[in-house]
Amino acid sequence: MRTVGWTRVFLAPALTVFAAFFLVPLARLFAVGAAGPSGWAAYVEVLHNTRYLQSFLSTLALAGSVTICTLCLCAVCGVYLSRASFAFKPLLTAVLTLPLAFPGVVVGFLVIMLGGRQGVVAQAGQALGGDPGSAVVFAYSMTGLFVGYLYFSIPRSMLTVMATADKLDRDLEEAARTLGASAFAVARDVILPGIRPALVASGAICFATAMGAFGTAFTLATKINVLPMVIYSEFTLQANLAIAAVLSLWLGLLTWLVLILARSATGSAVAAAA
Amino acid sequence: MERRDFVQVAGVAAISLGSGSLLAQQSRAVCYNCPPEWADWGGMLRLLAKDLNLQVPPDNKNSGQALAALVAEKAKPVADVVYLGGQVGPQAREAGVLEAFKPSRWNEIPAGQKDPEGFWFAIHSGTLGFFVNRTALGKRPLPKGWNDLLKPDYQGLVGYLNPGSAAVGQVGVIAVNLALGGSYERLDPGIGYFKKLQANKPIVPTQTSYARVLSGEIPILLDYDFNAYRAQYKDGAPTTFVIPEEGSLQLPYVMGLVRNSPNPEQGRRLLDFVLSDAGQRHWANAFLRPVIAQAMSAEVRGRFLPDEDYRRAQPVDVVRLAASAGTIAKRYQAEVA
Amino acid sequence: MALATTSRLLDRAALGLTVALALFLSVPVVLSILTGLMVNQFQGFSAGFSLRWVREVVEQYHGAILLSVWIATLTVLINLVLGTLLAHGLRRTRVQWARALEEMFVMPVAMPGISLGLAMIVSYGALGGFRTHWSFILVGHVLFTLPFMMRAVLAVMQAQRLDVLEEAAASLGAGPWRRLVDVVMPNCRNAMVAGSLMVFTLSIGEFNMTLLLHSPFTPTLPVGLADAYASLRIEVGSAYTLIFFVLIVPLLVAMQFLGGSPRGKAL
Repeated sequence: MRTVGWTRVFLAPALTVFAAFFLVPLARLFAVGAAGPSGWAAYVEVLHNTRYLQSFLSTLALAGSVTICTLCLCAVCGVYLSRASFAFKPLLTAVLTLPLAFPGVVVGFLVIMLGGRQGVVAQAGQALGGDPGSAVVFAYSMTGLFVGYLYFSIPRSMLTVMATADKLDRDLEEAARTLGASAFAVARDVILPGIRPALVASGAICFATAMGAFGTAFTLATKINVLPMVIYSEFTLQANLAIAAVLSLWLGLLTWLVLILARSATGSAVAAAA
Repeated sequence: MERRDFVQVAGVAAISLGSGSLLAQQSRAVCYNCPPEWADWGGMLRLLAKDLNLQVPPDNKNSGQALAALVAEKAKPVADVVYLGGQVGPQAREAGVLEAFKPSRWNEIPAGQKDPEGFWFAIHSGTLGFFVNRTALGKRPLPKGWNDLLKPDYQGLVGYLNPGSAAVGQVGVIAVNLALGGSYERLDPGIGYFKKLQANKPIVPTQTSYARVLSGEIPILLDYDFNAYRAQYKDGAPTTFVIPEEGSLQLPYVMGLVRNSPNPEQGRRLLDFVLSDAGQRHWANAFLRPVIAQAMSAEVRGRFLPDEDYRRAQPVDVVRLAASAGTIAKRYQAEVA
Repeated sequence: MALATTSRLLDRAALGLTVALALFLSVPVVLSILTGLMVNQFQGFSAGFSLRWVREVVEQYHGAILLSVWIATLTVLINLVLGTLLAHGLRRTRVQWARALEEMFVMPVAMPGISLGLAMIVSYGALGGFRTHWSFILVGHVLFTLPFMMRAVLAVMQAQRLDVLEEAAASLGAGPWRRLVDVVMPNCRNAMVAGSLMVFTLSIGEFNMTLLLHSPFTPTLPVGLADAYASLRIEVGSAYTLIFFVLIVPLLVAMQFLGGSPRGKAL
């Protein structure tokens, strides 16, 4: 017997915890956003302020470019890996998907290993005869952040693309080939539309993650101006709680919307990731 | 094991751990800006645990971050005491985050090194200069003054803490400024110098970077004599300290009790201890100039650079620097960063 | 060697790109591990290897590391209870409501971690005892990882077979609670294990929210890690990262084995 009473009992614990520690705080945050000098107008004012607008746009540009780059790379490699078979394929797949759960702080540090003052690239440059002043150091700029975001986006999208590529109907490709299409045409007209749902879903997740990512920027610090860092410094350095709250809510709303759109566009099968 | 038993055990474990931590709170205190690698706070924290049975966790915030944290937490402070660069003391008093407290040795602290009402007081001071790792410099000569650092020889080798938030960073700006003929109010020479320095691609960390000089990552750091001497004599590193020939500054570092802090009694014990004989001797042995001057032994004094070098370093006017600290930070962020 | 496309050239190019990506992802990890074991990174291999930095990290940060493990363990236990009950409740709810509720529970994952931390501080920061206790962090972690446990378990619970088994049990007189404990849960064991691994991994690595929720006496592993990166030598930061890898890689491998990798946000 499915009594409503029992259903409520089962749902109650999670709902209580959620209400107390998420819904209530969110509502408080919303109120705090309006507690600053401009009151409720702050929510609109923030969108006109050049500094915040600039950081919002650079975050948008960064997230967008990382997403496009990741999707291109993962489309090629994901499809390839799901079809090809060679001796060290399991190893390659494992290496490409293991970094999934590395926190942003660790990824930032790994970027320093690559592009920091004593990173691989800098040391290679020095070995080839450069002096310390002109060493190629990209870790502490937007380039470093881009590399870092790429680092944690690739494993995620790779998995999704591979899973979808496994399910593609090879007969369609056979048919295209027998009709005389080149390998490139087959890839463009048959395979690509086939993995499109995976690309859209993982692209949305990649975009949302990059918009809200903080740990990497925090580790690389100094010259970087992305929205999560602005929120953090407004709170910790300027004690500007109202602005931090307003910016947080706008950012949260944007990422939530992107994820919802992705789920509705492709169905829960593929977007079960976030 | 039945699910119910499991939940019970977990619950008991959680409660006992929780209450355990509450009990431990009785001999704890929180210090903002007590970095273990700066001025040998690591040693002082161990001393506090040993002699006072007081547990104080290390904290790597710099002066600016510490002040900002105090302001953000004003409604419900987390810290009990705070350690700040001299010029940040008056700023903290103005922000209303400190509480007046005159430690037991109040009268032994010279007049210019404490707030008249007791909101902050110096515990030791240091002189700003170049903290240099000779090995990392390779064949290049040791820089002798501020103008040397602008030479392309030192490209990529110079570092300084961010004047936007670190007290030592701001002292660097004002030291150069005064050495090049500016004043506490006229900051153009100092800001201009840092603008020129950018051509040499300097490294600008935000927090203590003692370890990075030792490892060679930052060969020349604008830092205090005590950090440099500690590296040279205690850690046996190939480092050296240079007081710039154009002139430099001495800055007192101050401490204060946080207003409405969670453990005020422990905070007061801590502040009394850093001024006690044992405390001051610790600072002296870590190559700081203790505020209670007789705590420094002749042996330690012998390891400092000769007195004539130190004549080039003037004591900072803490109040005047406090007034222009905000401008320094803003102008640096706007014009240099 | 089986080809992925009909063109040898395209195949070679794709393989090259894949290997390049793999190198990009793995070389920094290897370097980091090596640096954590080197005596002096500036001098490189010539200065030799040592466990000195690893020892230093353990000495200075063992509190943070242990606290992270403790919080992660509790998060798993709490979410096993909350998540299973929730998933079971959702199964019994009408589809539109269930979907809406699912979306709602995903919100903490969609929002940036610092926003969640800020919201918690603003609401409960004034409760001094709670603010400086590790349970403040625990609450955030539970909210952030609950959707993963919920999804993992729900996916299995929605299998047809389970409905039939439940009907059979109901017809034999079993009440809703008995049906959950004796019929549904034993069948979800694999999902619960996979969910637990995922939750544990996510909790151990959580930084954004924890940076705001922690206090001087409750640092966690990633918070200590960021501290080490900012203030200490690069060898110490690398040694700390090495310890983190040692903790997390076996979990990731186990998860891949069970077929459920964490695709969720860990940033």
